[in-house]
This record gives sequence, C-alpha cells and structure tokens, in this order.
Amino acid sequence: MFIINCPFCGERDQSEFSAGGEAHIVRPKQPTELTDDEWADFLFMRKNIKGIQFERWNHSHGCRKWFNVIRDTSNDKIHAVYKMGEKPPSN
Amino acid sequence: MSENFRSTETKFLDKTNRISFKYNGKKYYGYKGDTLASALLSNGVHLIGRSFKYHRPRGIMTCGSEEPNAIVQIGGNGSFTEPNVRATEQEIYEGLEASSQNCWPSVEFDVGGINNFISPVIPAGFYYKTFMWPKKLWYSLYEPAIRLSAGLGKSPTQPDPELYDHKHLHCDVLVVGGGISGIIAASISADNGNNTVLIDDKNSLGGSTVYQNDENFKINDEISSSWLDKKIEELKNKHNLTIKNRTSVAAYHGYNYLLARENFADHKPLDERLNKLRQRLWKIRAKKVILATGAIERPLIFNNNDRPGVMLASSVKKYIDFFGVRCGDKNIIFTNNDTAYETAISLNKKGIEVTVIDIRKNSSSALVKTTQDAGIKIYWNHTIVNTSGYRRIKSIEIMEMSEDGTNVVGKKTSLICDNLSISGGWTPMVHLFTQSGGKLRFRDADQVFLPNTAMSDQISIGSCNGDFELDDIIKNTISECKNFLSASVIDYDLLKVSCPKQNESKIIWLLPNDKPLGKTKPFLDFQNDSTAKDIKLAMREGFKSIEHVKRYTTTGMGTDQGKLANMHALGIISETAGVKMGSLGTTTFRPPYTPLTFGTIVGRNVGTFFDITRKTPMHDWHKDHKAEFENVGQWKRAWYYPKKIESMHQAVQRESKAARESAGILDASTLGKIDIKGTDASEFLNRVYTNAWSKLGIGKCRYGLMLNEDGMVYDDGVTTRLSENHYLMTTTTGGAANVLSKLEDYLQTEWPELDVWLTSVTDHYATASVCGPNSKNILKKLFPNIEFNDENFPHMSFKNAELDGINCRIMRISFTGEHSYEINIESKYGKSLWEKCMDAGKKFNITPYGTETMHLLRAEKGFIIVGQDTDGTMTPSDLQMDWIVSKKKYDFIGKRSLYRSDTMREDRKQLVGLLTDNPSEILEEGAQIVQDEKKQPIEMLGHVTSSYFSPNLNKSIALAVVKNGKNLKGQKLLVPMKDKTINVTVSDFIFFDSKNERLNA
Amino acid sequence: MLNINYPKIENKEYPNLKLNLVEPIHKLNLRGKNRDFFTKAGRILSIMLPTEPNTSATIKSISALWLSPDEWIVYGKDIDKNLILSLESEISKSNLGSVTDVSDQWVLINMKGKNVFEVLSKGSPFDFNKFKDTKNVVVQTLLNHVDVILHHNDANNVDLFVRKSFSEHLWLWINDSSSFL
Repeated sequence: MFIINCPFCGERDQSEFSAGGEAHIVRPKQPTELTDDEWADFLFMRKNIKGIQFERWNHSHGCRKWFNVIRDTSNDKIHAVYKMGEKPPSN
Repeated sequence: MSENFRSTETKFLDKTNRISFKYNGKKYYGYKGDTLASALLSNGVHLIGRSFKYHRPRGIMTCGSEEPNAIVQIGGNGSFTEPNVRATEQEIYEGLEASSQNCWPSVEFDVGGINNFISPVIPAGFYYKTFMWPKKLWYSLYEPAIRLSAGLGKSPTQPDPELYDHKHLHCDVLVVGGGISGIIAASISADNGNNTVLIDDKNSLGGSTVYQNDENFKINDEISSSWLDKKIEELKNKHNLTIKNRTSVAAYHGYNYLLARENFADHKPLDERLNKLRQRLWKIRAKKVILATGAIERPLIFNNNDRPGVMLASSVKKYIDFFGVRCGDKNIIFTNNDTAYETAISLNKKGIEVTVIDIRKNSSSALVKTTQDAGIKIYWNHTIVNTSGYRRIKSIEIMEMSEDGTNVVGKKTSLICDNLSISGGWTPMVHLFTQSGGKLRFRDADQVFLPNTAMSDQISIGSCNGDFELDDIIKNTISECKNFLSASVIDYDLLKVSCPKQNESKIIWLLPNDKPLGKTKPFLDFQNDSTAKDIKLAMREGFKSIEHVKRYTTTGMGTDQGKLANMHALGIISETAGVKMGSLGTTTFRPPYTPLTFGTIVGRNVGTFFDITRKTPMHDWHKDHKAEFENVGQWKRAWYYPKKIESMHQAVQRESKAARESAGILDASTLGKIDIKGTDASEFLNRVYTNAWSKLGIGKCRYGLMLNEDGMVYDDGVTTRLSENHYLMTTTTGGAANVLSKLEDYLQTEWPELDVWLTSVTDHYATASVCGPNSKNILKKLFPNIEFNDENFPHMSFKNAELDGINCRIMRISFTGEHSYEINIESKYGKSLWEKCMDAGKKFNITPYGTETMHLLRAEKGFIIVGQDTDGTMTPSDLQMDWIVSKKKYDFIGKRSLYRSDTMREDRKQLVGLLTDNPSEILEEGAQIVQDEKKQPIEMLGHVTSSYFSPNLNKSIALAVVKNGKNLKGQKLLVPMKDKTINVTVSDFIFFDSKNERLNA
Repeated sequence: MLNINYPKIENKEYPNLKLNLVEPIHKLNLRGKNRDFFTKAGRILSIMLPTEPNTSATIKSISALWLSPDEWIVYGKDIDKNLILSLESEISKSNLGSVTDVSDQWVLINMKGKNVFEVLSKGSPFDFNKFKDTKNVVVQTLLNHVDVILHHNDANNVDLFVRKSFSEHLWLWINDSSSFL
C-alpha cells in the first residue's frame, strides 16, 4: 500500500486512488486519418517496464483529479507526481 | 499434582494469584503471568504432542513464537475453541482448557507412532509419490485417512462469537520489539519529540535482559536487569510514547505500512470476554521504523534430538530465571558457543545439577570461567551421538570429535539426564526486514544473515542486526538511533557497559555420528518432521534451489514457518553441495510472522458489514410490501413482490401482465444521474455518445450509447436537455461511478478546453417510473395542471412540474415499450411520491414491479441491458444498433475503432432473438449455442444472454449473441443442455410491438 | 402534502461521543475557476471560497469547503431557496461555472466529543494527527469503504457528509464502531 502525494490534496493512502495506466499517451486529434496500425498502437500498445514508469492516477475518493506519477515498478518507489498537462520533472 | 518444579521465587509472577486450568482433561495449577508452557513445566509435564509425520512424542522446546512442538488446542468443543496455539505464548487463565493435537487416541498412546518404526519407508516426498494412483481414491480414502491421523487441530464448527476489529494508527516512529535495544530506541525517540509507538508481543517489556541477573553483565555498575527495570519505569511517563504489549507485528509492507495484532482477551477467563474485543488488527503507518526484533537460538542437529526434555538453552534459562521453573533435575547443556554457559550459571546458582558438553576445544570467556569455578563439569570437543527416553529424555551418549570435527572417535560415554539444553548459536530475526523489501548480507564468522539495504525509512538494531554482546548492543543502538532520528539527546552517551566477550562459536550444521546418516534421525524441522536425511535425499533427487528443497521436504512449512529449521536446511545444503551459504540466499519470508486468526483478518467486515449496502429512498416501502431484493452492485433493488404464496415466476408473470394491461410502477432511483452544465455541454455529449446531440431541442430526451475507445459498448441511458447549456444524463445502475470517472478523465486530460461541469446527483433524486396504458391517467391525477396529450407532452420529452408545491421533473421515456413516465423528485420526498403514485393508481390496479419484470418487459421489446447482453466485446453494429451511430460526426469516443478490420468482420457475434421450438421451454441464460452437435471439435457459435417466459406473448423468448447472427434469421440451431438438446430458431430480437404503437398509445 | 423521509438515523450518545443527524440543511455544489466566478460566488454568499487545499471558510452559519481547485461544497442553515436561485442565475445561467443543489445527495451527520477521531481511525486510512488539532479543515476520504467528506469545524466537532444511499449502512457502522472503542 503506497502513500501517494496528490498534487492537490497532499499525501494520502493508496486506497483513495485508482490507477489509470501509462501516462503521456495523447488521444489523436484526427483519428480518422490514422491507419489501423497507428490506431491500434494508440489503443493497445502499453509499456510494461521493470523500473521507472510514467503512470496516470486518479484521486478517485478525494478530489477526483487525474495526475501523473513517476514510479519505479521494481520497488514501488514514487519519484515524482505532477499535474496533467505538465512536463515530467527532469530528475 | 503439586508444583514440584517451581523451585525459586520470581517477581514476574503474581504468586498470590493461583490459577487452575485443565490440560488433556487433568487439572493443574499455575500463577497469573504463567504461559501454558511454563505452567505445565512447573507441574513436570514435558510431553505435549506428537509429531506431524512420524508421531514421535514431542515436548516444549522454546519459550516463544518460534515453538515448533508445543502446539495445542485451546477450549473444548465449543465455539471458543482454537487450534494450533503455541503453549509458549498462551497465558493461562482461570478455567483454561487445553489439549494436545496431532495424536489419536491420546498423546500418551498414539496409534500413529507406528510411523516412527516404518520411517525408513516414508522419506521426503512419500505422500507425493505414494498416493498418486488411483487418483480417485485421494478424496474418498487417502486424504480422510491421512487427515484423521495427522490432525492439525480441530476447526471450530460454530461461528466465532468473539469480536475483532481494525484500526489505523499513524506515528512518527514505530519501534518493534521491547527488549533492551527497543527500550533504548523508544526512549531516545520519544525524548526527541517524536510521536512514538513501542510494540512487543509479550505481556511485559524487557526481553531477555530483564531477567539477566548475572554479575558478568553490568550497566553503570548495576546489574543489567535492575538498570533496565528503571528504564522501563521511565518509559511509562513519556506522554508521546504509546506502549502496546501482547501485540505482534504480522506484516511489514512497503512505505512503512505494518499490520500488527493486539491481543486484548486471550489471557482472560471466558466470562470476562463477553461482548468485548478479543483482538485488534492495527494498520500502522510510521514515518520511521526501528526494528529491534531480536534473535532466536538455534538448535543443534544430531541423532534423536527431538525428545521431550530437549530444549533450547536460552529457554531453559528463561524458565528458571523468569518463571522460577526448573525444566529438570539433571540438566545437560550441549553447545557450540558461550551463551549457553549463562544457562549453566543460572541453574547452578539455583542449586540444580548441570553438566556441559561443548563441541569446541576450549573457550576463554568469563562465562566459561565462572562455570568452571562453580565446579561444573565440561566435556570439551564432544558431541552427542544418541539420546534415549521415549516420553522424556533419559540419557545421552557422547563421543569425542575428530581433529577436523567431521567425525567422532574413541569410546561412547553415557550420561543420565532429564533435560537437555541445546544451543547452536543465534539467528537474527530478519523476517520483518525482508518482508519490507530489504536485502540481506551474510556474515561468515557466525553464519548469519543480516539486514543490508532497506527499502524504506527504517533501521534494525540490537541482535536482529547481528549484535550479540551487551556493550555492542547498547553502543550501536544509541549511535544508530541518534543518527537515524537526528536526535540530540545525550542521556545515554556516558553509559558504562561491562560484559563478557564471546569467543567464536564452532558451527557444524549436521553433527557427526558413529552411525551412517541413514541409521540416524537428526531432526531439522520439528513441526514437519523433516530430517537432515530428507534434505540430502532431495539434493540427490536433483533439487538444487532452496525454495524447491523446502517444498519437497516441507522443511519450514509448518505454522512456525521454519523459524528454527531454515538456517540448518541452508547450512546442510551448503555443506553437501560445497557452495558458500551466503550465495544460496534464503527462502522468502512471507507474512504473517505468526499465524493470525481469520477473525482478526476480517475484523468487523462480517454479517451486516460484509459488504456495503445502498438503499433507495423507497426501500422501506418495498420492505413493508414484502419485496424480495436483488443485489445490483451495492444496491438493494426490489426484485419482485410476491403475493402470499406466489413463486418468483408467478409474481413476475403477474407483474408483467399488469404493466402491459393497465399500469406498473418501478423504483428507478438507482440509475446513475449526472448533472452536466457549461457552454460546451452539447459538444461534450457529441464526443461521448455515438449519436448527435447538438440539435436536441430544449425539453427533449434522447437515448445514447457510450463506447469505449476500442469501439465496444460501455454504457447507455437517456439524457435530457433541461436548458440551453444544462443536461441531465442517466447511466446504468452499475455503471454510474465508472461513467462519471471516465467522463471526468476525458474532460481533465483530453479536452481541458471544454467548458463543462459534471456533478453526480444520483442520490439527490428519487425516481418512480410509471408505465402501461393507464400511466397517462395516473399522471393526470397527480399533475392536473399538465396537458398529457402527445402534442404538448410527446414521447422523449420532459416537463418541470410541481407535486403539492414540490418541484419535480417528469420525463416521458420508456424502457418497457409501454407509454411511460419517469418522475424525479428530491429524494427526501421519494417514498411519499411513491405512495402518491400508488394512491393515484389504485383504481387502475397499479402494480409495483421489480427488476425481474423490468428485465422481462424490456426483453420482449428487444432493449439491451449493458452488461447482460453485452460483455465488453460488442460494438453497436453487433447489437444491430447501427441506427444510433452517427455517420456525420467527425469523431466520438470509439468511432475510429468501428472501422478496424476486426470490428468490421461480418462473422462477429451479433445480437439475435431466439425462439424455442417448444414455446413453453425456457432457455438457460449462459447456455451455449451450436449448429452441429456431431462436428468435432464442436463449434460454439454463441450463447444465450437473456431468457424469459413472456406472459404477454405466451411463449418463451430469448436474446443471444451468435456468430454471424445477422444473417441467420430463420435458421435452426441447437442449445445442448446437460440432459437434452433444445431446438431453437433464430428470430428478430424485437418480439413485441415492433412498430412502437404502444409508446404513443 | 408530501411527507419528508430521512434515513433511519436517530441521535445517539456514547462515552465522549455524540452523534446527530443534521437535516434538513441545504447543500450546494459549486464548480468554477475564473475570477468572475470567485467574485460572484463570494458576493452572493458573503464568503470567499477557500483556495487553500483541505480548508474551509465559515461566516455566520454558512460554510464553504474546498473539495478540489475548482469544486466546493457550501452548506449551512442560512442558505435558503432565494440564495440558491440567485447563485443559479448569476453563476450557472451566466455560464461562469456551475451551481448544483445537492441537499439530498448528501446526508449530514455531526460527530462531537473526544472520541470522534478514535471512531474515524477505525475505518479511515487518513492521518488525523494534524487534522484533529486544526480547525476549519476538510478531508475527502474513505470511511469503512464509503466516500465521505469530513469537516472539522470546531475542536472535536466534525460534520460528516455521506451520500444518502450509503448513509444507513455507514450509520450502522459508526454506531457499531463507537460501541467498542
């Protein structure tokens, strides 16, 4: 059970949050222009890294805001949290 | 029986409080503060149980949670009974009843003891290898027989009457372990302003130092126990320190999240426990954790080392120094290190006869000198090659060891004894450290695994960190705590500690014997009866990894999780294979550290609190009118309203007919309701639904289908345009929370530019849905000021209205195919609204109907239920709902996926109707559909998703998804069931009023 | 006349703990983010909506609770139909943000006494150590797996918001937990 530092509410227990998969996958603005393969890439292809991973989380039982998390999947250590639309912190 | 083994006074027991208890039906006495083990030993009882596999007599071996043998059943046959309790941890109380386990018919005479004599034919893996064939005999013959003779205690057969709960605890510093290092750490932590919690599994603090009265151990020129006594007193006055006794940490997870069980009642008589909490599971979040979990003594592995009366030396010391109980009158201590000499000195001081056998050649320790000065005989460089005594050890045979220690030489000497204290050195308790993700290192000198790198903010101190000498323990505890807590307190800096230096121990994992290994029984895991032979057999059979050897031999798989055995298993593997022990690694330490009862794990989440229940505002009405309820998600929904002796089928048939013939009323309050506001609300709906929304007039309603990005149907519902920029969306009952979360996701992440606000109002409104040909007449009575004709109030439109001055919204929408209205009102008026509708509908025989009738009515009409007729693999086209997918809109969620080659396949599973050839035969939901039963392998074309007997059509109807179903209308298919095959014909899936005449009737 | 029915929550007392149903009481959900929204809401309510996370503002008997950077819940005895109407027309209908009546969405339970946080700690993973020493703080968290909003408005005095359909269940749980601390 992690503690996640919600960028809006502060540190909270993991049970207040839900995970939303890989971060920084932008929905194509013009889906109709894409080939099947390009669309499938957006739809299905996700990284599954042992190590540093960029993820989306939702403070679903708190402020209901979505945000990004940088987490090391090998030890669950969270290196950073940042809001939607922001660039990941450089270190 | 008199207490003839309680030989000395002790301040740790309340001698004024004599307690009687029963063990195997016989009455004994002990004192308040005794464990069951110490009380039994004080009565001279050593034999406690039979071993798991060979049914050898076994006795009390330790004084703590590592106990492998003294496992008992507490309580009689009643609901309070509990199996697998360690006698070394169970405190006695007036009226306690305990009995031996794993023996039949009794511990004194056990039929299974025969296994001991046939043990050469039941080696490791015996059960795996033998009871494989014939397989079917396993359940009927082998398992019951093995279980009867193995008997790991009896489970209670009645519900547990005791109370358990959970509680969260947040602290700055958590100290685990109340020995001397934990006490110093807690004291430093609290003195430096940290909100501190100190947890210890015993009923009082102090670890082993609190009864260390040896002159060799001094702190500030005071005997160590009396120095510690004062420190413990000081702790009690620290306002920011919480001490939890009888509390055991079960698990240590990441982010310093620990689970600990606090025991409130197990030491109290039953009549004091009624309606009180028995145990509490603490869920602890600590900013910092200090582990001071100590070390446990290792046994030595030699032939027949498992007899009752063979005990760990440190435990024998605790029994005499703490409980005042001598474990025998003729004691022999068998050791490979200096610490066992503390036991020798303690026993000698109390005038108890003692002899020492040491596998080392000598030792210059002050402890050894004190022992020698006391005139105690020491056999240096000797080992035990055999023991005898069936129900209690009687004698041992010793031999001198060869120069290199790998063999024995010379003649056997026989020594008489009634207690054998063994000491193979110490194993630091790194369980919690590794559970938290910490990595270990191996110290060759004394062959111990020690904490190396931790994953969270924590340190290990004291003997669990590999410090075994008092001055090291104190010095390092202080410096590490100061560093870890950035503490400034210097109270402890000037401590003067004196203690004997310990010479090197001599580690031989499996001691040599004059007989070949095959003729000896050197036990390793006492609880699971695995021997050194088994480990070697496993290795001969090709098992290399410690994890595999463990599972094959079951070493370390008992309720004690191998606290005593695991290191020896590793040691023997390393000696046999000639690899370094440090490179073998350890088996995984998994929670819980000591077993937890199920009650503690579930806490109050039982009965009413097993799951959350949500109730609608009309719930009590349904209950008063004898509704049966159905769980829909967490909601309790009225399922059907049986009258007198009606069956469910009869009730549903009656309700369905009434709804179509006159009027029915349904509680639809559970539907998700989302209030949508903002200048981009219409655009937002365009993007989330498959159909177009911009042109929906104010006051009009529209049905929408919501897809996932993969093109599969996700949710559906009717949305009403209340004003220019204001909509009310309804979702399915089960989908409400997920839909809101998904919509918020898109708004926050993909389309932050949209001016749209979403607010859940599911609970704010109660919804009564009135349907049937007379629904209009009922509404007229309730709302006399509203024109209910089709021009003013057409299907798929809404009106604001007032009922007795209270605002409500009326939507003319239908999920049954009948002329129908949904009335939304603030939920505090929900029950009253319902009653008004019932009143107004009386003359039209308004019939309340539940979810089952609702499902039937909509199925007649071919309306889908998302989640019943769909399963996350159905596109709108698969549902034959192409009409709802806008071709004009540039984009909506899931649109692009509808043009993928896979979603455009003609032969996907598609929604169809099914009619049974025999119209009274009802299909089973979930039944498979095939075309050719003889084809091998048989091809599954699809399955039945909804099936009912329709009273309005007087025949059975079903919805199904069938491969290429769109093109199969009229086709004969088969539904094979267990006892017969049902013939069906594919039909249109709208069975009733396909021209929608009734909607506008 | 339509009757009013609240969930079955009767006032209860336990050692150092009083539990009361606080109904009827108006509750509004406010959403918005631009400056005009803040100005309008502030003027109509006579309260500046708090922008500091996890805090509340109270004037007279109206309280505004921070729920997220663009969401507040406003409640209190002084809120009446007219105030709601004027908020709706000046904010929702003027497209400055959103005002939604959620009076019946939530049930308000008041918990008072030294043992308030002992009970809450049994079902909530939230760290109440600082919270219990601070007034006018708010937290949205879970209590026995149910979403709640907790408003600590005075020493050992907490207003608990729970969605109506969950309220009877949570009420049973609170009583159960209060009966053996």
